Amino acid sequence: MTEASPPPILPIEFKAVSKQYRLGFWLSKKVQALKSLDLRVEQGQIFGLLGPNGAGKSTTIKILMNLVQASAGEVRLFGASPSDAKARRQVGYLPENPAPYDYLTGREFVTLGAQLAQFPAKEIKKRVDEVLDVVGMARTAGLQIRRYSKGMVQRVALAQALVGAPKLLVLDEPTSGLDPVGRRQMRDIILHERERGTTILFCTHIIPDIEALCDRVAVLVSGKLVQEGGVRELLTTKAPGVEIAIEGIGREALDALKVSPEAVHEIGGRLLVRVSGADSNALIGQIIAAGGRVTQLQQVRFSLEDLFMDVVNSAGYTASAGGEIVG
Amino acid sequence: MNAFAALTLNGFREARRNRVTLLIAGFALVLLLCSTLLADVSIASIERVLVDMGLSGMSLMLVVLAIFLSTSQLGREIERRTIFMIVSKPVSRATFILGRMAGNMLTLAVLLLAMAAIFWVELALFGYPMRAQYGVAIAALYVELAVLSSVGFAMSSFAGPIVSAMVTAGVYLAGHLSGDIYRLGESAQSAFLTAIAKGVYYLLPNLDRLNFRPHATYLIDISGADLGLSVLYAIAYAGIMLSLSVLFFARRDFK
Repeated sequence: MTEASPPPILPIEFKAVSKQYRLGFWLSKKVQALKSLDLRVEQGQIFGLLGPNGAGKSTTIKILMNLVQASAGEVRLFGASPSDAKARRQVGYLPENPAPYDYLTGREFVTLGAQLAQFPAKEIKKRVDEVLDVVGMARTAGLQIRRYSKGMVQRVALAQALVGAPKLLVLDEPTSGLDPVGRRQMRDIILHERERGTTILFCTHIIPDIEALCDRVAVLVSGKLVQEGGVRELLTTKAPGVEIAIEGIGREALDALKVSPEAVHEIGGRLLVRVSGADSNALIGQIIAAGGRVTQLQQVRFSLEDLFMDVVNSAGYTASAGGEIVG
Repeated sequence: MNAFAALTLNGFREARRNRVTLLIAGFALVLLLCSTLLADVSIASIERVLVDMGLSGMSLMLVVLAIFLSTSQLGREIERRTIFMIVSKPVSRATFILGRMAGNMLTLAVLLLAMAAIFWVELALFGYPMRAQYGVAIAALYVELAVLSSVGFAMSSFAGPIVSAMVTAGVYLAGHLSGDIYRLGESAQSAFLTAIAKGVYYLLPNLDRLNFRPHATYLIDISGADLGLSVLYAIAYAGIMLSLSVLFFARRDFK
């Protein structure tokens, strides 16, 4: 009889995790930041967290990094509690709007990061040089951080996340403050880390970054997980649409047609109409019958942004930032 | 280098590059040098003026610095979110607090030694020896700074920098009056007031036990037992305060 092998240890696992913040002088006001979140991130995945402001993305990351304690539920980081320093030894963390010690030079800060990450002392200098080179800061690493631009601060902060050669990278808004060149470099670094076998959890508002980089994505709205799945799988759940440019008929004539489009925009005397692929033939026939001309026809791929907006809207999100006030 | 040593040296580096530390160190130097000018115009003996002014100047400046460093660092780290990249590393929050405290104590030790050296040079210039009482007063001042820093850390582990600084400064002043508070309670008519005064006495650090400056000024003998007990009391008090700061800090959320 063969023994069943133990289940693999997941880098990240959230089981029914909730977080309630208490605010105000008497701590009487309660804000529900997370509601019973279940999440699993497997080894080697690039996992994206999406959500509007106040959705609970940063709270999720802070619970994982032991900066905030969950009110309920269980969080496992490589099978251990996030408060276990040994588990955090395997993690590199880049917070949103990072603020390294500005009295240090870039090199000193990354060296401090390596020392705190318990990197072997003899190899620290070599490793620090290596990561400063990877993030493009080798030339300016001797300057005090207070003299850096926002993009340079972001790069140095990324270097301190990478310096411990982590098995898990947690990146909160990693491309914020970077110019297009820096964003491209950041993407390349993330992809390079994946090739090395690093698991990456990252949270951003820049949906194209998630679409380009992530294997899986989770959408949080008002502290609840409302959608989770593989990026390719989610994008194929909805058929692609068609965008049609029409001339020769007005908005009233279009509205009178039997097939109603998903969206209509009037631009420079012509109508730009978006319709599902299944309805496109019927609509084109009706436009021609009504005396209109189709001047352009273009297939529109369903994007992650469309999915995000659909999910957020159907979750009843109203554009007010922050968690739900419950008391 | 382990995490504790890295944090300690970083704390020292931070204080060394902080303008407030440099300003206070410069001011202390001026104050020490001024005591030589006062020695000429005072009717007391030159040695007494040099010792009184020198030790008081060191005490005043270093107490201000100890309160500033211990109450501002944690608040600033949390407010500016520098703490996110430090406590997310494989470092316990207790190590973080203790490393920070050790960094401050290293800064204070370096400054105190520098000031003591200047003080010694001043005495030597006027032809006076460095007496044992002076050394004891300086060493006891360092222990007092440790107690005060531990109170500052305990406060700033749950309160903001301004509240922490005000309370720590209050503890310093009241700590030097705690003996008077006890005596006041004993002479009070009401049992309730006596109990309150005793409670305050036991709660506050008795910093007067660490004040050996009058012994140095008036060349009073210091008993080894008295000194030993005072230092043990101070270590125990600072230990309790640091334990409380670790306890509060470990439960704190960094939003």
